[in-house]
Amino acid sequence: MNAVMAILMLLVGAYLVAVLEGWVSTGRLRPAGPITSGLALLGRESVVPRRPDRIFFEVAPPLLLVAALLAAAVLPLSPGLIVADLATGALFVNAAWVYVMVALLMAGWGPNGAYAMVGGFRFLGQTVGYSMLIVMALTAVAMRAESLFTTEVVKSQAALPNAIYQPVGFVLFFLAAMAVAFLPPLDLPTAPGELAGGVMAEYTGWRLAVMRLGRAVLVVTLAAAVSVFYLGGWLGPVLPPWAWSALKTLLVAAVMLLLGRYVPRLRETHVLEWGWKIGIPLALLNIFYVGVLLLVV
Amino acid sequence: MLQTVFTGLFGLAAIWFAVVVFRTSSMVRSALALLFSQAAIGAMFLAMQTEFLGVLQLTMMATEMAIMAIFMVMYMMDPGGLGGMDMTHQKRASQVSGALGGLAALAVAFFVGWGPIAAEVRPGEQVRGLGLEIMERSMLIFETAGVTILTAMIAATAIAIKRRGKE
Repeated sequence: MNAVMAILMLLVGAYLVAVLEGWVSTGRLRPAGPITSGLALLGRESVVPRRPDRIFFEVAPPLLLVAALLAAAVLPLSPGLIVADLATGALFVNAAWVYVMVALLMAGWGPNGAYAMVGGFRFLGQTVGYSMLIVMALTAVAMRAESLFTTEVVKSQAALPNAIYQPVGFVLFFLAAMAVAFLPPLDLPTAPGELAGGVMAEYTGWRLAVMRLGRAVLVVTLAAAVSVFYLGGWLGPVLPPWAWSALKTLLVAAVMLLLGRYVPRLRETHVLEWGWKIGIPLALLNIFYVGVLLLVV
Repeated sequence: MLQTVFTGLFGLAAIWFAVVVFRTSSMVRSALALLFSQAAIGAMFLAMQTEFLGVLQLTMMATEMAIMAIFMVMYMMDPGGLGGMDMTHQKRASQVSGALGGLAALAVAFFVGWGPIAAEVRPGEQVRGLGLEIMERSMLIFETAGVTILTAMIAATAIAIKRRGKE
């Protein structure tokens, strides 16, 4: 039952994210846009490029979707509404996101196309840039909650959400989350206008539809993760818990998409350089700062 | 019962993907087959209810194997395997040592007294027990060594980088 509810919520979330993304990138609000373009994709022929690595080519789009779904499974919508409340929830989310990179690497290598391959390997580099920021920021979150249960993490923020308690970790995690979902300033693997779609360049028809759906679900899970780990998840006055979760998730997704409209695409070297030279020292400082707060204050 | 079945299935998957590593001549396929072999071991851990080990295995291996794939593509002459390159060598010796190693592992699995098996262990205790089992008294030494190595890595990189504006 929980699983069905969660999938329904994810689908609604993915739809809203797709509408938002269209609105942000074209400036026109078209509520039926995702449905019409989805149907159009399903009606189109799904071309297989010449001499592909067939296994990778076929596996990549579903793997992207599955990775996003697995990450969503451990994020609670309300106290009782969680598919799997794992004891290692905060770590499991990260394990699921890593397979996004594997999926994009496959999508890059599989179709036997130059743009796709550049995109796939770019995302591997991007992973090296952001993955430490995700893990280190989550370490500080888990330190405060004294648990890796995602539900415990939410409960630990009853007095003060982590976004205020550890603002540095919040900003780092937020940016790293945008990198995981390859959202605009960090959309190096797809890079429209430069790589002609990159990892998605060679996909058409229903395969592209699956891939786009996976990406939209991924954006929802990342926004939900920011809300669970830093904005107090379902906690809030008046409204029921699930409504707070949904509101916060949508708000985070909207901010993520809006940032992409105003910031130009970063260079691969800059992502790595800033990630390692600025991001990791800040993340370590954040761990230290939270440790001091926990032990002293 | 169901637990045993799943553990066995994931174990077979791990072995099958390990075989695929050597049967394919594409470097990227080989690296990703190794990844899925390791991921199947992670799934075995999950089936055996050692959640922390399972999730850790799944996380670590994905990044490691993907990075290995890029190195293999960079260094091998025929990364796509289109030239039909043979990756194997010293066939007789590796067959013999592989068979012996497999027998030794089986012997260890069957002839070692594993002691009592806990019916249910709380996740927190499991991780704590694991840490004590692996490191015992040396916990602090290992932790210090980790930080020392990290410092050495950063220092080595800092020394290796050429100063800007100086030739």
